[in-house]
Amino acid sequence: MLILTRKLGETIRIGNEIRITILDAKGRQIKVGIDAPPDVTVHREEVYQIIREQNILAAEAGCYDSTDKNLSHVWNRLKKSKEEVE
Amino acid sequence: MKVSTTRFGDIDVDKSRVIRMKGGMLGFEPLGKYVLLTQDEKTPFWWFQSVEDGSVAFVVINSFAIKPDYKPVISDAEANLLEIASSEDAVLFSVVTIRSDPFAVTANLRAPVMINAKKMLAKQVILVDPDYPVQYPITENSTVLEVKEKAEIIPSVLAI
Repeated sequence: MLILTRKLGETIRIGNEIRITILDAKGRQIKVGIDAPPDVTVHREEVYQIIREQNILAAEAGCYDSTDKNLSHVWNRLKKSKEEVE
Repeated sequence: MKVSTTRFGDIDVDKSRVIRMKGGMLGFEPLGKYVLLTQDEKTPFWWFQSVEDGSVAFVVINSFAIKPDYKPVISDAEANLLEIASSEDAVLFSVVTIRSDPFAVTANLRAPVMINAKKMLAKQVILVDPDYPVQYPITENSTVLEVKEKAEIIPSVLAI
């Protein structure tokens, strides 16, 4: 990992189009400003990981047994359990 | 073109039905082309099937069908990326995680798949708003559900 030390207000440039500026630092919290082209997505790492894991789970669970290939079975099961509760 | 899928066998997908993704589904980034499949009109679920990897398919649902007051904030940059001029151009789908317990079937409201059906472009958008859960239980919450004609939502849906 490349490690750089920056002061408040200073910037790091990645490639031609991405700039990361240190805006504020209070205790253990650092505020970072990011300029990136629209096709570059920027996310908090933990949020990205949660979505990624949920996608993988969803893709696996979709084929969880042979009946689940047919989504009307899944849907009917859902409706039935909802009706039972009500 | 012929697509060999693990779930539905060989399907014939016309080029015009292929949805191109910007950035891919998270965790499936190399895959950029999908097709929406429907099995019948009575369920609000659709399949979002990868054209490039026949084993990858997601169950999706129109986000508004399960949460009529769903109002996610989409950035201009993301709208522009999909060439969305007005909100009518955008359709939002939530990725559904199917589990054997119906009460554990959830939809991801935090990261909807936004589709511009006119341009056949899509992106999985991560919302800034943390109030939209990644695991939103469908059975508990949905007041569901008027099942709209799928072709009304996305004209290029392919029936299987």
